[in-house]
Amino acid sequence: MALFPIISNFERDFVLLLVPVDTENTMDEVAAAAAHHSVGRRVAPQPNKVIRVRRQGATEFFPRNKRLAETDIKPMEALEFIFADA
Amino acid sequence: MALLERHEWYDIARSTNWTPKYVSEDHLFPDVMTGAQGVPVEKWEVYDEPYKVSYPEYVRIQREKDAGAYSVKAALERSRIYENADPGWRSILKAHYGAIALGEYAAMSAEARMCRFGRAPGMRNMATFGMMDENRHAQIQLFFPHEYAPKDRQFDWAHKAYHTNEWAAIAARHTFDDLFMARSATEIAVMLTFAFETGFTNMQFLGLAADAAEAGDFTFASLISSIQTDESRHAQIGGPALQVLISNGRKAEAQKLVDIAIARAWRIFCILTGPSMDYNTPLEHRKQSFKEFMQEWIVGQFERSLIDLGLDLPWYWDKMIAEFDYQHHAYQMGLWFWRPTLWWNPAAGVTPECRAWLEEKYPGWNASFGQAWDVITDNLVNGRPEFTAPETLPIVCNMSQIPICAVPGDGWNVKDYPLEYEGRLYHFNSEIDRWIFEQDPKRYRDHMTLVDRFLAGKIQPPDLMGALAYMSLAPGEMGDDAHGYAWVEAFRKSPPKAPPLAAE
Repeated sequence: MALFPIISNFERDFVLLLVPVDTENTMDEVAAAAAHHSVGRRVAPQPNKVIRVRRQGATEFFPRNKRLAETDIKPMEALEFIFADA
Repeated sequence: MALLERHEWYDIARSTNWTPKYVSEDHLFPDVMTGAQGVPVEKWEVYDEPYKVSYPEYVRIQREKDAGAYSVKAALERSRIYENADPGWRSILKAHYGAIALGEYAAMSAEARMCRFGRAPGMRNMATFGMMDENRHAQIQLFFPHEYAPKDRQFDWAHKAYHTNEWAAIAARHTFDDLFMARSATEIAVMLTFAFETGFTNMQFLGLAADAAEAGDFTFASLISSIQTDESRHAQIGGPALQVLISNGRKAEAQKLVDIAIARAWRIFCILTGPSMDYNTPLEHRKQSFKEFMQEWIVGQFERSLIDLGLDLPWYWDKMIAEFDYQHHAYQMGLWFWRPTLWWNPAAGVTPECRAWLEEKYPGWNASFGQAWDVITDNLVNGRPEFTAPETLPIVCNMSQIPICAVPGDGWNVKDYPLEYEGRLYHFNSEIDRWIFEQDPKRYRDHMTLVDRFLAGKIQPPDLMGALAYMSLAPGEMGDDAHGYAWVEAFRKSPPKAPPLAAE
């Protein structure tokens, strides 16, 4: 377990945000941490959607249950958080 | 005996170059300080300042200017202009004084460098007056807000801002250090007086003086006019310096300095002037949108100055013009959302009438920025103000020191422009900001943004309160909504269309 700062670029939000997560977090948990700072604050919720994580500019999402430590994401890398069909 | 006319003695009196006997020319005028770029001294002697003034003339004119501004202030001191002004206007004053007053002192040092190390006698002569101008600007812009400090301690930040690690103060210091505190005399002539002052401040001050008169603040209007007339004189130091560089085969070097300086100046004006014009200025006093202002003065006027000098438009010109549509709206949202981190109270500027104006001036505003403001407004209407308060830090651009932001909602285009350099990952707001870094990475690489400092453990406790303490923002100084959220009332009758919160 280790604190791991990432940059949240949340779909429909206006700003990049610092979000502290943990290397043991799954992508769904990372997405929830990012959503906390955007959804319901400046981004309207989309209750029928899930939030998926991808690298900036990528088209493929990381698997939802993949742990951060299992990826090659670097600290302070900008990740895109995208509303997607469940 | 009759005195000679100025033109009869001016040229000979300001021919102050000489042949040193006791030290070498290189020691007296080292290239690192002159920035002459190897152009020999005799080539600089053709420098011809377009605006000529003698010392007695300067003193007489400046005395009249000071007397005018100070007497307007004295005459209106008992009026209730300040008390009756819209809170949005008071916020413009606070932001302006904090961001500008001590920057003028810095500019005085820069002008002093041109006095000493300028290669052209005419440049040294003009910079002597410029140095005294900037000293006057610093003093007058500290003295005028001082009257308001007992009424509102945020005005104390006219003097305090630059002595803190408040993020906007860091952004201003970083920009001004780069453009004129840590530059040679020639670079200062090009970057401060030509790019920053001719391009931006001279015109900005013209607009600001008109806005102040429109808002009924004649004290501020006379102050700003008094400063602007100095600016329009000493801003002319750069033009002839550029002509010397260009005619001696240094166009590429000159162009790069201009391109860097315009890009950096644009960021500062975008965050300071953009929200002031389109959000803080009461709707009934707005004459032009920020975009219209930029198109008229920067595209319409400054563009011509560049071409006339024989320069090209900066490579990013179209990208910068595209930013006129959105960047300052994004900065405004950041200023308002992180309002406790400011020394002024930002006006939201999003009443139904304001939103209609924004949509008219910026078609598509409602579908982009408006959607984010819908969520904010919905939270305030429904008693959830805690959701309109920040809980984390925005990522700050490693060049501008301003949060990286762009268009939300339907036009979402927010993007990081990263760069890995010597093992460190840097983040930029745009290709333009990253390009500046790449021109001289060693110059910029060691600076730590507020976020870098937070991650390095320099901000304790590592939370928002710790960050506010790090920025020296005491209770009573931290910003809050300029109108005490009164604008939300209009939405209670007709709430914005935001879906219910999933979190509830």
